[in-house]
Amino acid sequence: MRYQFAWALFLALALPVRADDLTIALSVKTEGFEPARIAAPAGARIRLEVSNETVTPIEFESFELNRERVVQPGQRATIYLSGLSAGRYEFFDDFNQVRRGVLTVE
Amino acid sequence: MLETLLITWRETLEAALVVGILLTYLARSGQRRALRYVWLGSAAAAVAALACAAASSSALAMLDGETQELVQALIVFGAVGVLSWMVVWMHLNARSLRGDIQVRAERVLATGRLVGLAVIAFVAVFREGIETVLFMWGVVVQRGVQLTTMPLLAGGLAGAGLAIATAWVFFRGFAFLSLRTFFRTTGVLLLLVAAGLLTSGVNKLIGLGYLPPLVPQVWNTSWLVRDGSPLGAVLSALVGYRSRPSLLEVLAYALYFPPMLWALNHGQPPPPADGRGEGGARSAA
Repeated sequence: MRYQFAWALFLALALPVRADDLTIALSVKTEGFEPARIAAPAGARIRLEVSNETVTPIEFESFELNRERVVQPGQRATIYLSGLSAGRYEFFDDFNQVRRGVLTVE
Repeated sequence: MLETLLITWRETLEAALVVGILLTYLARSGQRRALRYVWLGSAAAAVAALACAAASSSALAMLDGETQELVQALIVFGAVGVLSWMVVWMHLNARSLRGDIQVRAERVLATGRLVGLAVIAFVAVFREGIETVLFMWGVVVQRGVQLTTMPLLAGGLAGAGLAIATAWVFFRGFAFLSLRTFFRTTGVLLLLVAAGLLTSGVNKLIGLGYLPPLVPQVWNTSWLVRDGSPLGAVLSALVGYRSRPSLLEVLAYALYFPPMLWALNHGQPPPPADGRGEGGARSAA
């Protein structure tokens, strides 16, 4: 019984998609991220959908967000972020570091 | 050119340090037969990384990015299991390894366990290798194979070579430790590597939305060691350093490392009274 409760709690916390998710689309083009500046409210659960529209693999990386993910050409990756406090969170393509962007949480 | 050199240095270093620990650990405990399995795992991973990158437009595309990431996380957890088992098992058994340490170790290290070593080496090399290969592949695709691409490729290769040299220098330093200190140090190091792998797996699951971070950022030590810096890369490979970890990652680390350290210390053999064990292993190393 206790395990069932723990399991239910785990699933409730862990279920990937929830109704209040905020989806932000982010394209990676040859010139860079588009849009290069994105914004979200503090504390929100964010689905960051990174589409690689270039012909080479990219690696979305952010030290501030503590995330990294390789995205193959033509593919889209969903990166979850939640409970962020207000601030500037920079991200870049680790495979081509001239591509940079920033997420502003306020 | 400097950029490609730095990126491949950083990626290769992480793999080279892990493989280096395994090789040094095994060589000094006199288990030369096991070295082959580490090299085998590393070589297989290098080939697999190249193959995956070559097939990335077709074969990898069949698995979507999320599934790939999930598979990687599960592989990492498997490696943590193997690594933990190896460290504790070796220390528990070290108690019975008196007299000719080399012969006894050869006898007790069954083939099934050696495959475990190959798995760890494979995971370490593949994890970083796939990124390095994808990165270099991207450089070539983007610019085409032409004269201006060559310095970039040369930089990449030089970076990988430098990383292996760095790891070699690092482990040369260990040769001066006494055998007892050596095993204690590398045992703890291996557990730190495993703890780092565990948190990286947890980090992947958080990014995929399967686990909640609880608190996205517990502390921020980027003022002290930046994640992308050379020191940050070394610490990331050895202890799983992240400047801004989430609470769940910190918890995973805290729940894994101290109990394992305790298990390691309780399996610690008494120092050999006559020094024969030490001499035997040193001549084998």
